[in-house]
Amino acid sequence: MSGHGAQVENGIWMRAVMMGGIILTIGVLLFATLGVAMADVKHDTWEELEDEYHHKEVEYALDGNITAAEAKSLDHLHHEEVGAHLSYLSYRVSGITILLMSITYTTFIGVGGFLNASKPNGDDDHGDDHGDAYGGDHHGSASPIIFAFGILLFLAGFPDFAIACKAMLNSSVTADLGMLTLSLVGLLTIVIAVSNWWFEDLPFNGEGEQIATSYPFEGEHIRKAGLWVFIMSEIMVFATFFSSYLRMRTEWCTDWAIRDGVEACKDVPEGTVVTASDLLRYDFATLLPGAINTFALIISSYTIVLALKTARNKDWKAKTGLMGKIMPTRKAEIRNYLIATLLLGSLFIVLKLVEWSHLVAEGFDIGTVQGSIFYIATGAHGLHVFIGLLVMLYLVFKADTVGFDEDNAQGIEYFGLYWHFVDLAWVVIFPAFYLY
Amino acid sequence: MGEHATKGLEHWLMTKTGKDIYFWNFLVLMFFTLFEVGAVFFEKIPGTEIKITKMAVWIILIVVGIVKGFGIAAFFMHLKDDPRIYTRTALFPVLFVILMLWGIGLSNPAGVTDLPSWCTPNWDYAETR
Repeated sequence: MSGHGAQVENGIWMRAVMMGGIILTIGVLLFATLGVAMADVKHDTWEELEDEYHHKEVEYALDGNITAAEAKSLDHLHHEEVGAHLSYLSYRVSGITILLMSITYTTFIGVGGFLNASKPNGDDDHGDDHGDAYGGDHHGSASPIIFAFGILLFLAGFPDFAIACKAMLNSSVTADLGMLTLSLVGLLTIVIAVSNWWFEDLPFNGEGEQIATSYPFEGEHIRKAGLWVFIMSEIMVFATFFSSYLRMRTEWCTDWAIRDGVEACKDVPEGTVVTASDLLRYDFATLLPGAINTFALIISSYTIVLALKTARNKDWKAKTGLMGKIMPTRKAEIRNYLIATLLLGSLFIVLKLVEWSHLVAEGFDIGTVQGSIFYIATGAHGLHVFIGLLVMLYLVFKADTVGFDEDNAQGIEYFGLYWHFVDLAWVVIFPAFYLY
Repeated sequence: MGEHATKGLEHWLMTKTGKDIYFWNFLVLMFFTLFEVGAVFFEKIPGTEIKITKMAVWIILIVVGIVKGFGIAAFFMHLKDDPRIYTRTALFPVLFVILMLWGIGLSNPAGVTDLPSWCTPNWDYAETR
């Protein structure tokens, strides 16, 4: 981060710790409600239906011939049982996801806040004296380099990190603790780097934004240009997923291709290749999580635009009616739009994992070619959303404490560019993987 | 992304409806999302006997994707009014993307299953030499 034109008291960071505590409390309560209480009720219902189905199955089998009416009744019971299982999974997975997300949120914002509150002072005193030579208030930051180093360590130990997660579920799997430690050190380094980055950015009031002095971005903000170059690289990443999917998809004889009379598939029986979209657009209920997610991302794109628009609005006036009560000040309005974006993004992750759990329950796992490309592509997108949410946490914190205005709203603008790109990537992924 | 002076259609919308281009862009994105979901759900165009074929779904999804992509990039990401260098930066990977889609995605549909044995897992170099 570059410009530091204001000073922020260290005590303000303790509000981040409090924010982490609130998030964790909400997460635990939602987990207890959805993931435990509701899920247990749904689990009981599922077990009852499962027992009923098996009793009927045995009863009809003992009779000898199963009549058409009995077969229909069994089929109906089976559908009810499957529905109850998926309903149970929805509650359990959403509860666990919310808990894990709130723990991660709390770790970042809480630990970050605690570390920053413990620092000696809140101004731009980094022990150097070159500030004046650069206009008195800016210099480069080492945080991105430390952050990248943390990611390096985390990824080096990641295979064992993943194995350790499996080991928690399955005692027969053992994890290499040495590499696991490396991964955890990487995570800690990431948290420290991110908190330091926040520490440097919080006092930023718009002074000292670095301007590019050479072609091709001459006169433009360096951070904005950098973000666009980053987005350019992200386009390439998603293009690789999409092209490999296209490559495989044009070859697959899906049921749709067979029914549509594709020549190359005329001798292939239906059901040979099952894609995620075959399962997801089976009916309205199965497509609903993906459809809601699409709307959630579009709405969240709009709320971040509204946050920026409010921050840049010099002639801001409080709204009337309910909106005026919810957002009585400009600061509150920006913060609340950012919170809305955070909630919509969190909803996206929860529904994504609920949808995945349904697909896995129906036998569509990562072990197949179709599953592999689906989970990797949508998982990579989900990871981008999640990383965006961690950044959003900080924006909410800054909006609630220092506040944004027409001078320092670049943080919202640049984050918004990233968030819109994530939305844009979904515009391609949703029709390709869910609808087609 | 950001505030800018309105002109043309944006200005007209602002003066006629009191809502800015971001609001209308948001509505367009919502409408087209509903449209593409509907295109997949309906086997025939509602009220007619015209079947929605696989090719028609392809076309609808691609056209809707282009419209939505343009709406997000041009208005939400503000490429329409930002200096052209940002658009050029965003479009820089297009050549790469086209090469990927054409060269890998569409050139040889049977490529995955017809890969030579040395490209597939568990191939033992010592055995085949």
